[in-house]
Amino acid sequence: MEQGIIENLITELTKLPGIGRKTAQRLAFFIVTMSEEDAKGISKAINEIKEKARFCNECFNITETKVCSICSSSSRDRSKLCVVEEPSNILVIERSKSFNGLYHVLLGALSPIDGFTPDRLKINELIKRVGRNEIKEIIIATNPNTKGEMTAQYIRELLKPFKVKVTRIAYGLPMGGDIEFADEVTLSKAIDGRREI
Amino acid sequence: MLHRTEGIVLRTIPFGEADLIVTYLTPDFGLLKTFAKSPRKIKSRFGSSLEPLTRSRISFWGKEDAALPRLTQSDIIHPFQWIRDTLDCFLKVSEIIELTINFIPERDANKKVYSLLLNTLQAIENNLSSHIPSCESVRTSRTPLWKRDNSPQSPFSKGGFKGDYKEGKVVFSDENLLINHYKIKFLKFVGYAPKLDACGRCGKSGHSFYISHGSILCEACAKGIDLPIRLSGAVLKLYTDLLTWDAVMIKRIKPSDKLLSELSDIINVHIKYILAKPLKSEAFIHSITR
Repeated sequence: MEQGIIENLITELTKLPGIGRKTAQRLAFFIVTMSEEDAKGISKAINEIKEKARFCNECFNITETKVCSICSSSSRDRSKLCVVEEPSNILVIERSKSFNGLYHVLLGALSPIDGFTPDRLKINELIKRVGRNEIKEIIIATNPNTKGEMTAQYIRELLKPFKVKVTRIAYGLPMGGDIEFADEVTLSKAIDGRREI
Repeated sequence: MLHRTEGIVLRTIPFGEADLIVTYLTPDFGLLKTFAKSPRKIKSRFGSSLEPLTRSRISFWGKEDAALPRLTQSDIIHPFQWIRDTLDCFLKVSEIIELTINFIPERDANKKVYSLLLNTLQAIENNLSSHIPSCESVRTSRTPLWKRDNSPQSPFSKGGFKGDYKEGKVVFSDENLLINHYKIKFLKFVGYAPKLDACGRCGKSGHSFYISHGSILCEACAKGIDLPIRLSGAVLKLYTDLLTWDAVMIKRIKPSDKLLSELSDIINVHIKYILAKPLKSEAFIHSITR
């Protein structure tokens, strides 16, 4: 076998996140043994996504069209807007089937040390969207960590003049977890965010 | 080899699918970068112990000179959650965290710097808590401190943090004083403190600070050197006080906002000159005050 071809594929595969040289080597040799149909399927899917994928003009989700299927759907509740950090967060929330409103993707979170300033995120676009649409509630679903929390606080301040209800997803213990193993910060957040039953 | 120490989380960088590279400041190993496996997963055993500013007891596994030892355990000693939960305060603290990361070499133990950071964080948190009715109100309320006293002053407004000292109100100038105290002491401990007590060449007194020399120079020694920054006697006195006093004591100093801002500008210019770049967190604060 030509070492050049396989070496080339290994080098290309290591460009993917979380793929080291050994994993790339394993994948490369697996691709060699794959049926031609399957291998071409992968190649076609990668080509297609690079040709067609773009950000939705409204919410910055990844889509093939100008406006994504969620933004253009008439069955969605247009009074609720869920703000997330990444397009992948939409997939997870959609899978939970607990939210039927619209989304807005920030494409990151604020981070002073990393130089991630508000103008690098889609925060201005969010403010413009809130200004022109009939949104009554904004659910901020950024990650429950320092960057996500800081982003949520910053957005909440910017949204004050709009008189929309701004909520934050709940903090606390994961389902199936055990209180015994929870750390004090998570527990204190869970107790602060308690609700009547 | 398994090592145990305590440390304060300075920074976390996402790595791979759910991993993190965590930068600690420790008393025994100085600046320490560790690899934490899967802390971003919801059921991770690390919980919230890897959030920035958390002081924790850690164990890590790796050879003596391993570039990225593996973090095996992290138990919270104190989370400094109040600081993290207060946006304006956290932004200011980010400056000193970035400063620390930029100046301290990896694996070079410096107990003085560790104590300084710990004392500064404790003093800032005490300052926050002393002006808040209860711990719970800080944790639960999403209202930032500058809004709680119905003050129209926002930290996003031009000029940054300008809280007043009145009964029941938050004193933002205290935090600014603590941040500047940290910067000055830190620069002293790492050997980069500007020389403001006398001429850096001959030892004569003077009031002209030359950035390129990091020092005051007298008229005779400064011939042919670029334009200086004129310093008032009050700024020099404040600098000397901050350089010699401890974090717990400096609350006694009550400089005016103008004086503190004057000193802060000199220190920031000095830092920028040494690093040959501005601090990202400083630029961040400017970007939201625009």
